Amino acid sequence: MPRLSLGVRLALLFAACTAVVSLVAGILFSRASAAHFVELDQQLLSNRLPVLQRILDGVDSPASLIPRLPALKEELAHQTDLALRVRGHDGTVWFASRSNLPDSADQTGLTTLQAEHSDYRGLGVQLPAAQLTLFLDITHHQHFLQRMQRLIWLTVGLSALATALLGAWAARSGLRPLRRMGEVAAGVSARSLTTRLPVEQMPVELAELARTMNAMLERLDDAFQRLSAFSADIAHELRTPLSNLLTHTQVTLTRPRSLDEYREALHGNLEELQWMAQMVNDMLYLAKADHGLLMPNREPLALHGEVDALLEYYGALAEDTGVALVRNGEATLAGDRHMLRRALSNLLDNALRFTPGDGEIRVSIEEREDGIRLEVANRGEPIDAAQLPRLFDRFYRADPARRAGSSEHAGLGLAITQSIVRAHGGRIQAESAAGWTRFIIELPAT
Amino acid sequence: MKLLIVEDQAKTGQYLRQGLSEAGFSTELANDGETGQFMALTGDYDLLILDVMLPGRDGWQILKAVRDAGQGVPVLFLTARDAVEDRVHGLELGADDYLVKPFAFSELLARVRTLLRRGGNPTQETTLGLADLRLDLIRRRVERAGQRLDLTAKEFALLELLLRRQGEVLPKSLIASQVWDMNFDSDTNVIEVAIRRLRLKIDDAHDNKLIHTVRGMGYVLEERPA
Repeated sequence: MPRLSLGVRLALLFAACTAVVSLVAGILFSRASAAHFVELDQQLLSNRLPVLQRILDGVDSPASLIPRLPALKEELAHQTDLALRVRGHDGTVWFASRSNLPDSADQTGLTTLQAEHSDYRGLGVQLPAAQLTLFLDITHHQHFLQRMQRLIWLTVGLSALATALLGAWAARSGLRPLRRMGEVAAGVSARSLTTRLPVEQMPVELAELARTMNAMLERLDDAFQRLSAFSADIAHELRTPLSNLLTHTQVTLTRPRSLDEYREALHGNLEELQWMAQMVNDMLYLAKADHGLLMPNREPLALHGEVDALLEYYGALAEDTGVALVRNGEATLAGDRHMLRRALSNLLDNALRFTPGDGEIRVSIEEREDGIRLEVANRGEPIDAAQLPRLFDRFYRADPARRAGSSEHAGLGLAITQSIVRAHGGRIQAESAAGWTRFIIELPAT
Repeated sequence: MKLLIVEDQAKTGQYLRQGLSEAGFSTELANDGETGQFMALTGDYDLLILDVMLPGRDGWQILKAVRDAGQGVPVLFLTARDAVEDRVHGLELGADDYLVKPFAFSELLARVRTLLRRGGNPTQETTLGLADLRLDLIRRRVERAGQRLDLTAKEFALLELLLRRQGEVLPKSLIASQVWDMNFDSDTNVIEVAIRRLRLKIDDAHDNKLIHTVRGMGYVLEERPA
């Protein structure tokens, strides 16, 4: 089936509706008028019948009919479209006021009959010795009905055509907001993601669609902003260590130095390089996650066992800073051990960095019906609610002063954790309340 | 020990060759796939280090040719791509290990040594030792100069690793992986703290220090002249 435009579709639909409606109306009207004519004819014929019957009273043979003929003809002359036929019971015609009247046999009651050139309404009555049939010429009625039928067909055709045209126009103007939507959408590019559809000016039916599209644009814009920021951040993050390396190396080479100085210079460079390599590796890991290539190699795991291994790993470091590590609860799941360890390690690493001395880091595991909830909580500075979701952004640091060159993460740790959690079908969120910072991972039941 | 490096990036190849030669390996370098495959098939090497992306024949093709020729020589892949399929493909073809660029040379060296050791007979020692340090694997006891030392399980495992690979610089990532089974680059100073604690028990009371930090590379257990 060819693809029709909405406008054409609506126009055709309108035309069809009008045609059907006017056709039905026409047919009803035509039927009604036909019935009305029949009624009129019957009335007329019935009115005439008693007089004629009186005239013919006592007629029992063609001969007895003759003396009454003048009265009969006079009576018929009052109404020129009226005709009459008297037949004996044996079928012989005793009298007919006109030639070529249709043969009506012995019918009584009202019938519609056709002769050569005319149409008649016939009313048959039984007389004691004969049969009387009154005929009314209704040719002009029939002509009128035929004209009316033609008129009806014409009306159907014209009204259908008119509504098709009107419908096309209406559809066109009705669909204008949709076209405007299309124009706006066509104008959206990476450079103009801030364009929005005017929801208030949209018809109610389209407002929802416009809102949905605006929401989509919002998300696109957001993702694009993040991507742009990400690229800019990569450049920025790499620029600092690169500039350090360039400066340091050039300064070292400007004049002869002692062996120790060269060694020192190379060590300095090595640190920057290791930091950069780590960052590139982390970014590649995230890129893999973005492309859906982070596929957990699932195996049955005791989550508390993994947490304990990590707490043991970080134990000595925590002890040094006087931070207590506590684990509550148990749960088992099917997950990728290395990935989950990495995810949790980033959380613990983060918690350790922001927990003041003599603080505490609590890892709580809870096995629920719909999955597993794991919480890493540490006492620490409250974090602004607006910043909480941004903690998972790449390169995001709550404290902008802490930048590249330090021995710390490039700000990718929590982003990696989020990617791993998502690869496991779960989600992660951060909360900050009552002096506690909480990272909550929810993993679906497997 | 004779090694073959097949790497088309001139600088990378040259640096690797220098590094491995200075680490005591006899190293040869091929700059393209064709030469690399010819050398791998004709030379008698203890280990092949193959770049995946090579002009002529890629690393996988070389590996396949080597395995088809019935050589069981260990193969270490270097690659700039880290796709899971790549890794699986390499391992299916019979690669022994896989390093993704950028990697640290110390990491490569540690892996090379592991692969070369794998070929030899696993030693069935019951005790490990260096200078006056003794580690008894069966009774799980450690002594320094006849004095018994009290180590935690992880400290014991760490010292065992250092002793087994004495003289080798062990990068932090390798230590984290071998002792704690943490197979990712965690850039915390967890390993530093662990080494410091081990030092406190092993070295602090003695003039003859055994655990040394190689800045930017890792840690090594060895006896150094005072």
